[in-house]
Formats: sequence, C-alpha cells, structure tokens
Amino acid sequence: MMPALKLTNVGMRFALNSGGDSGHFQALRELNLQVNRGDKLGLVGNNGAGKSTLLRIMAGIYNPGSGTVWRAPELSIALLSLGLGFKNDLTGRENALLAAVLQGMSKSEAKSHLNAIGEFTELGRFYDEPVKSYSSGMRTRLGFATGLLLDTDILLLDEILAVGDQSFRNKAREALAQKITADRTVILVHHIEHAIREICSRVVWLEQGQVKADGPTSEVLEAYLNSAN
Amino acid sequence: MTVKQYFTLVDTIARLSLKAEARRYYFGFWWWVIEPLLYVAVFYIVFEKFLGTRTQDFLMFLIVGKFTFIWFSKTVNYAGNSLMGNASLIGRMDLPKTLFPMAVVLECSYRQIAVFALLGVALIIDGYRPNGYWLWVLPLICVEALLIVLCGFIASVLVCMKRDFALLINLGMLFLLFMSGVFWDLNDIGNEATREAILLWNPVAFLLHSFRQVLLWQQTPDLGHLLGLTVFLSVGLVLVARGMSRYRYYLAQRVVTA
Repeated sequence: MMPALKLTNVGMRFALNSGGDSGHFQALRELNLQVNRGDKLGLVGNNGAGKSTLLRIMAGIYNPGSGTVWRAPELSIALLSLGLGFKNDLTGRENALLAAVLQGMSKSEAKSHLNAIGEFTELGRFYDEPVKSYSSGMRTRLGFATGLLLDTDILLLDEILAVGDQSFRNKAREALAQKITADRTVILVHHIEHAIREICSRVVWLEQGQVKADGPTSEVLEAYLNSAN
Repeated sequence: MTVKQYFTLVDTIARLSLKAEARRYYFGFWWWVIEPLLYVAVFYIVFEKFLGTRTQDFLMFLIVGKFTFIWFSKTVNYAGNSLMGNASLIGRMDLPKTLFPMAVVLECSYRQIAVFALLGVALIIDGYRPNGYWLWVLPLICVEALLIVLCGFIASVLVCMKRDFALLINLGMLFLLFMSGVFWDLNDIGNEATREAILLWNPVAFLLHSFRQVLLWQQTPDLGHLLGLTVFLSVGLVLVARGMSRYRYYLAQRVVTA
C-alpha cells in the first residue's frame, strides 16, 4: 500500500490562557499513524481526545510540537469543515464567492459556481441576505455547499454531515458520496456513528492524544461505543 | 499559493469588506469622506476659532495633515485585529498570515482614494493650482503605503501575541497624532535639533511634512531622507513578511487557541 500520510511520534501541546509556565494542555502525545492512498479512515474519540488537532496537523495548519509528519508530495490535501470562516456582514452569495476564491479558484471561476451553490443550499432569497440573519441550520447548509467545491486528493472532513433537517442531510450525504471516489483518501471525524460505518473501512480511536485502537470499522467502533456506555 | 492567487484573495476580501461596511451604515460609502471631514471640522473649530492658531492657511494645512494621517492610523488599528478577527478561517486553512493585514491595508487604501480625491478638490477650491511639485505625491503615497503595510503586519502579530497590544496601538495612534504635526507646524519648533530628531525618528511626521511641502508650499521633499526611508521600510517589510511565513504555524496556534 502506498502511504499518503505518515505521522511519527507526533506530540502537540498548547499553552493554556490562564497563564503560568506550567499551564499546558497535551493534545497529542507520541502518536504514530499511517494513512494509505484510498483509505477511508474514521477518527473517533471523546471531546478533547485530539481529533481536531490531529486534522489540523494533517492539513498543515499546525506544525507538531514534536515528531514528524510526512505527506505524499504529489497529493493535495484540504480540511473541509462547516462555516469556512463566514463573515456575518456578507451575504450568503458573497461568502460563497470568498470561500471559492479561498479554495484557489479565480474570481471568474468562483462566480460561475455561485448560482449552483445557491440552489444546493435551498436558501432562496436568504442567499442574498447577510449571513448574520441566518439560522444555524442555514449557515451549515451554506458551509456544506461551499465546502463541496474542494477537490483534493486527501479530504479531511470535520463533522460536516451535521447539516440541518433530514431531507437536506440525505442530499448532503449523496453529494458527499460522489466526492468519495475509490482513489480519494478520506479522513472523517464524526459523532454520528452510522456516517462512519457508511463511509469508513478503518477507524482510529483516539484517547488522551494517543491511538487507543486502530482497525476495521465494526471492531474499533464497537469497542469505542462499549467504553462510552 | 501563487502571487496571483494571493492578490486575488486580498482584493476579494478587501472589496467584500468594503461592501459589507457600506451596507452596515445608512450613509454607506459617503462615510469614506464624511468621517475625515468631520475630524477636520472639529480640529479647525478648536485650533483656529477657539485657540487662534498662527499657522497660515490653517484649514488646508490641517486637511493635508489629517487626511494623510487618517490613512495610516485607521489602517494600522484595523490591521492589528486582522489575524484574531479571522481565527475561524485560520483554524481551517493554511493561508499566508500576511494575507489578513494586507487585505485590511487594501480595503483602507480603496477608501483613501476617495479621501485623496477630496483633498485635490479642496486644494483647487482654495485656490491652489496643480503644478509640477504635486507629482511628488505619487512617491510619497507609495512610501506611506510601505510604512502602513509594515506597521500593519507588525501590529497584527503583536495583537496575536497579546491582546493588550490592541489597546497600546490605539494609544500609540493618539500619541502619533500629537507628535506628527497634524495640527501644528514642524517649522514652528525653535530648536533645530529637536525638529530634525522628530523628522528622523518619526516617519509619519516626515511624510506629513513632505505632503505639505509639495502640495502647499511648492517645495521638493528631502529626497535623501525619502530614499533612506524607502530602503529601510522595504528591508523591514521583507524581514517581517519572512518572519510571518516562517512562524505561520505558531501564529495559527496563537490565533486559534487565544
């Protein structure tokens, strides 16, 4: 199997805002993980287990405090999460334009996607209203639709299926399924168990910043759920 | 990210922010010129009417000083909060950290175009006629832009390290307002050494003085000083931009975990 990502002895700690030299939070410790090309990997763990930090390190947003991260140089990687830095005073359409340009499109290319994004979100006239007037469901719809523009080899998905009502969730799942092709590497963080079962063939269980279990989805997920109960 | 992508992004963020700002207020885009005019009106009433300043043609003297100062002060103040204000975006994408203060600089510079146009109209109405010295305004604008970008980058990093710097930058702008000759003339300083020291160590004072030299007094600015300042700012900008690139992960952590 060709590796897409390799993390060796990765550690990460953050200074706590309360100050003082000893105020640190160890988010990841001595973590080793290899993700192969085409893997559909689920990340599970309690709050504070280090899932979001791990995704950010994989995406190149953070550099690990210790250890090394290797990414296959020819593969592009991006983190998709809802509400890609929406600006409250901008309309849904303007935020979609900004999100598309942020994801590397030219302005004209970005503009050509705006109507399709608007239709997908089903926001109607609200698409041209400032985002500050949106409900949380409307925001997540816009976040999902703009996130779908991402077209990278390694896709890191952070809780992106928690989108609004059931009918939109189904539509979102279908749209996402089209993105998750056989050769695309996907790493999914999600609290909804069946989303992980549906998408992932392998699951990594994180606990206190370390890999507690790594294996087939049903096996690891069952162990994780049993521990939670 | 290519240079083209970088500037497309900077321009998109700047233009969208301007649109959002205009939408927020009843007078919309008109605030770009209303605000500096109100500042000038207040300063004029206090210094000309109440205190009876002896500066010749004080109104134009004040307009040139305040209009150029406001570009610097507002931009650096806004740029200071640019990284912290985009925490959710910085936590999701590995973007160049200079992007955010740069977008603020461009946004304020678009607004400043209207202010400079107003300045030109005010000068002509007051009887000044365009002349060859006015061409010096272009290099002066470029050098002020360099100063603003450099200070904007530094301010954004400082606020990212400690929020307290946002307050200090605000106070610093007030300090500069008094120390840069916005409403008083550097030529009135009797002590030559003090005057030279202010011009040397305060680039804002030097630039304001230079704008007045070319627009009001038909004088050439101190070219040696201008060149030296350009070199200093350019080198400083390259070093700070490189530093922000080198420590981009650290800055992202600071912003996200603040």
